[in-house]
Amino acid sequence: MQDWVQILIRSVTLLVVLFFFTKWLGSKQLSQLNIFEYITGVVLGGVVAIHISTLDSPIYYALIAMFVWFLIPYSVELISLKSKTFRNFMQGKSTVVIQNGKIMEDNLKKEHYSTDDLLESLRKKDIFKVADVEFALLEPTGELSVLPKKENQPLTAKDVGLKVAPEREPQTVIMDGKVLLEPLANLSLNTNWLETELEKLNVSIENVFLGQVDTHGQLTVDLYDDKIAVPTPSQKPLLLATMKKCQADLEMFALATENEKVKQMYEKNSQNLQKAIENVQPYLK
Amino acid sequence: MTVGSQVKSCYASIKGIEATLSTLASQTNEKEAREVFRNAETIIAEIKEDMEKQVIWLSQEEPQYKQ
Repeated sequence: MQDWVQILIRSVTLLVVLFFFTKWLGSKQLSQLNIFEYITGVVLGGVVAIHISTLDSPIYYALIAMFVWFLIPYSVELISLKSKTFRNFMQGKSTVVIQNGKIMEDNLKKEHYSTDDLLESLRKKDIFKVADVEFALLEPTGELSVLPKKENQPLTAKDVGLKVAPEREPQTVIMDGKVLLEPLANLSLNTNWLETELEKLNVSIENVFLGQVDTHGQLTVDLYDDKIAVPTPSQKPLLLATMKKCQADLEMFALATENEKVKQMYEKNSQNLQKAIENVQPYLK
Repeated sequence: MTVGSQVKSCYASIKGIEATLSTLASQTNEKEAREVFRNAETIIAEIKEDMEKQVIWLSQEEPQYKQ
């Protein structure tokens, strides 16, 4: 067999084998790998590289070496999943470097982590003042996880006691001008509904680059033709405005009438409407 | 605008609100949101009934403005 044919065959075979081995070894990102896993990857690649070009060593040598370097990390991973002690041994444990706002110097030293490293990692998390940190953990991958003090954490709706409407992930129903049926079915909607909504927006489906539907059944689209203005959804703000107007009207009627019974009716209804507005408001934003 | 026609237009708005709430309730996939919309709809329905009586009563009171 000619050399170039051999190289071709070897390349394709080893490429396929390498692809499946790395696939089975899991889908962790490069930055999440510990050193052992990282080296495994490098060795697998190295074995392939060497055996593709070294034609005097038979190809099954490569397969044997690769199989070993696949099998051991694979079993290590399997056992790690089952046993916590083994996992701690193989992957290492996270180390507390800041606790109750105080730096744990001994732990830093144990991890060979200098003060500059600590400051750098904190800066990467947008923290420039160590005093702002309540708790920080050095993960086995070398990354620093930081919990800022409560007053330095970003303000959330919970903090200010704001009521917000729950919202699940939006579904993409139109992609490149084509309807995606599965996401549509997830929302228990059908193509008829989609056609009606598009008609309301006055656009044809061929012109839609991307269309998404949120939890509340609101369709938003992006068009190929950016010159066409798509009307922004106005149903909800309009409803809220109408409700507020009606509430004001009812109050006015209550003031205007002289009939005591009617006045009470208006006042009662105005209060009820006010309550309804308060309940519905978070959902109309 | 007479009081009668003002009340009438408010009554119409209330009817519109009820219909929109009903659409929103059937559109949403979130159970909680549906509940909220339905509750609001019930409140609005009660108000609508009161307003309806008022509209009838006022139209009898102001027959001269009837067309």
